[in-house]
Amino acid sequence: MEEDKSKSENPLKVNRRHFFSQLSVGIGSLALGSLLIPDLFKGGKGPLASQPLGIPHFAPKAKRVIYLFQSGAPSQLESFDYKPTLTKRMGEDLPESIRNGQRLTGMTSGQDKFPLMPSAAKFAQHGKSGAWVSEFFPHIAKIADEICIVRSMHTEAINHDPAITFFQTGSQQSGRPSMGSWMSYGLGSENQNLPSFVVLTSRGKGNSQGLYSKLWSSGFLDSKHQGVLLRSGKDPVLYLNDPDGLSRSDKRHLLDHVSSLNKIHHVETGDDEIESRIAQYEMAYRMQMSVPDVMDIKKEPESIIKLYGEDSQVPGTYAANCLQARRLAESGVRFIQLYHQGWDQHGNLPNEMAGQAKDVDQASAALILDLKQRGMLEDTLVIWGGEFGRTNYCQGNFDPKNYGRDHHPRAFSIWMAGGGIKPGITYGETDEFGYNIVKNPVHINDFHATIMNNLGLDHEQLIYKYQGRRFRLTDVAGNVVNDILT
Amino acid sequence: MAQKNSSPWVDYVIFGLTVFLVFCLIFESFIDLPSLVAWLGRWHPLILHFPIVLLLMAAAIGLFNRIVPKLLLTIATLSALVTAITGFFLGTETVPKGDLILWHQWMGAGVAFLAVLWYWLSTNHLQQTYLVKGIQVILILLVGFTGHFGGMITHGEDFLAMPRSKKLEKIPENPLIYEHIVHRVLDNSCIGCHNPNKSKGELLMTSIGELIKGGESGPALVVGDPVNSELIRRLHLPMEDEEHMPPDGKKPLSDNEIQILERWIALGASDTLKLSDLDNSEPLAGMVKKMMEEGTSNSWAKLPKVADSTLQNLASDYVTIQRISSNSQALSISVFLPPDYDPKNITDLKRISNNIIELDLSGIPIGEKEMEFVAMCKNLEWLEVDRTPLTDTEFDKLKGLAQLRVLKAYETGITDKSVAVLKDFKGLKSLYLWETQISEVGFTELKEALPNLILDHGIDPELKREFIEKDTIVDSIQ
Repeated sequence: MEEDKSKSENPLKVNRRHFFSQLSVGIGSLALGSLLIPDLFKGGKGPLASQPLGIPHFAPKAKRVIYLFQSGAPSQLESFDYKPTLTKRMGEDLPESIRNGQRLTGMTSGQDKFPLMPSAAKFAQHGKSGAWVSEFFPHIAKIADEICIVRSMHTEAINHDPAITFFQTGSQQSGRPSMGSWMSYGLGSENQNLPSFVVLTSRGKGNSQGLYSKLWSSGFLDSKHQGVLLRSGKDPVLYLNDPDGLSRSDKRHLLDHVSSLNKIHHVETGDDEIESRIAQYEMAYRMQMSVPDVMDIKKEPESIIKLYGEDSQVPGTYAANCLQARRLAESGVRFIQLYHQGWDQHGNLPNEMAGQAKDVDQASAALILDLKQRGMLEDTLVIWGGEFGRTNYCQGNFDPKNYGRDHHPRAFSIWMAGGGIKPGITYGETDEFGYNIVKNPVHINDFHATIMNNLGLDHEQLIYKYQGRRFRLTDVAGNVVNDILT
Repeated sequence: MAQKNSSPWVDYVIFGLTVFLVFCLIFESFIDLPSLVAWLGRWHPLILHFPIVLLLMAAAIGLFNRIVPKLLLTIATLSALVTAITGFFLGTETVPKGDLILWHQWMGAGVAFLAVLWYWLSTNHLQQTYLVKGIQVILILLVGFTGHFGGMITHGEDFLAMPRSKKLEKIPENPLIYEHIVHRVLDNSCIGCHNPNKSKGELLMTSIGELIKGGESGPALVVGDPVNSELIRRLHLPMEDEEHMPPDGKKPLSDNEIQILERWIALGASDTLKLSDLDNSEPLAGMVKKMMEEGTSNSWAKLPKVADSTLQNLASDYVTIQRISSNSQALSISVFLPPDYDPKNITDLKRISNNIIELDLSGIPIGEKEMEFVAMCKNLEWLEVDRTPLTDTEFDKLKGLAQLRVLKAYETGITDKSVAVLKDFKGLKSLYLWETQISEVGFTELKEALPNLILDHGIDPELKREFIEKDTIVDSIQ
């Protein structure tokens, strides 16, 4: 609607297409034509035209998401997918009937043998649900009855960048809006004083892969839906405090004036990004008040700090980010995206992965417990997982104490909790080698469809038309995984 | 030559409106209406009565071989055109158009065009030909059908059917799967045609026995075997298939409803099975719960209407008001602490108190005034008053909130005195009381009074200790 208005106000925004469409109405409608605003041949927005934005399509199960992204792809075989067969057949070559032509990365394509490698971490069943969790994750094991482990995730991408881009944007090629941006676009903001999509990053000691701001970009959506990266140092947002001598009311005058100049510019050029810019200045002004308050971890009692682990007092650690994530969720941020780097264990897996797991295990589990005692698991969806899995065979030298695993897109494990996801279940199954899915596969598109469903959005209805094509987060695929919903 | 006295501009107007209507119908999918025009559409239900009466009158006069007064025909034709055009405007508000609307639209347009044709013939002195008689007969029929279809759009498809007592009673907390769930699905979609009065295909669906007995196509239900049950087979056929049930024009069953029927048959089509008998991992339990939840959102249908403009006026940077879902009157409100808090920020919401289903006042320094307002929100199902300075005195005001399902009251000053208030929330499903002054005795009392309640008063102390002590990661691996 905004768009229509600006079009009628600004002649520069009428392009060739609008001109012709107006012309054709002009002929047919005679004098009455002026009654119909000529949006002819624009194609409308389909069924979405009757679905106002910023409101769920149906009553949601979750109001917000905390996505604990484990960047680099943690091995499913040392975490949640227990495969005793690998121990029994240790060192044997992966049968061709199992690999079945799966392409390899450049890192193992030179290997002439693919010896099966069992997990260095021991597994045990936990909780009433009897979920298998490895000893790398002792705290997550203790909350096994709160989470839903999905062991049958699969993707098409085989390298980090396309895989993580796929998870975050629904496409392997960059340029599409991030999940968080779609949610912000579809559901609007819960708290007007904070961005609806916030990103926090941390880095472990393990082999890590890059993170780029394109992962939280709003793509073709309005830039106000872009993820806001909060820095891990002392100042989460740089230059948040006004310089000495500038009072809050001076600042207000300054912004009002800048805004009026920007509005003049907008009338001249009709560039919608100017309006976004005005809105962002306003958001930044409000964030000056809201962010220091939300980010002030000192208000947390000792027992909560200890629950997340001592690390949570050190800014920039995963534990600190988890605690921060809870505070942001309480303050009404819709989508809180964490990234923890360092999960790319091509070599030295047992050591590196143990270290990575130590970084995230307690804080991830503590987040679930903390959300639960605040009743926030009722409407907050927590997701933990990487971009793909790792191979069941060894990369590099065959040494059960120090081995590596390559990228594996065909099957991997993630877990979810709260926000309308059934607690205490394990969903999907891989074959005895942990290589292929044999039961209930969940594709990334299905994963996206399910998350959107729990947030009250029909993934087939949240559509944005751009450059002559309609776009969805799930593009042309995706089925809601009903079996894991409460 | 009475016709001569009509001025030519009437002809022009009729011609213009006809062209406009044709244009609208042809370019329908490309038209986005400005709100003024959409508003004109709202007059359709008023104006439509004129052409019905006038055209029927004119046609009847004609059929009795009397001269149809030109003025009557002119006004009838004009009103038919205006009605068709406003109807078209009104119809564009519904996307996509259902079958009923499409039929109504084209028949309505047909009425208008026939009227114009008749008008044109009569201006050309062709009052008494058989062609005109034919038009009059068709007009009478068409007006009747158009009106009937229009009626079905506004009043529901079965508004002319014999009144039937529709029981839309609430599904009980622990329903019998057959009686309260399966039978309800069948009753809504199937039993209308498969009952002792109207047994289509000689099939009755009023009891499990009748289903097993079946009809013309054999048994409708094979116990334990959904794949070979005719009932399920027909539900799964493509919509275009002759044999698909429910037949064309009737509302199909939802996926969830179909799955419920399938799973219930697979589990043995029992009439004594209860929801509580089902294991948590049994998919049927989830499906039934889903259906029960859909039932609750239906109860929101009775909420008073609240305009978007009202919501915009009441919302601010610190008060977020959202509809729980689009087209719903149920509201979810979150309040965040402004730098200059005033109870008025909350009490101003009085105007919409009946529509508030979810209210989040976490962390707001609320007191008596705010709680008086909360007590007015009779339909409240979800209340967050955690991290507030509440004490038993203010908490007492919540007494009347009979619909509460979720209540978060952790980090407040309430004590065992409030347990009495809490015990009265019979529908309460989850309650969060971590860091309050309520004692173990109070918790026990609550659990006894509300056995189905999930009561959370903090992380299990044993588990908490394991977290707070040193990390336990196994050293042997490193």
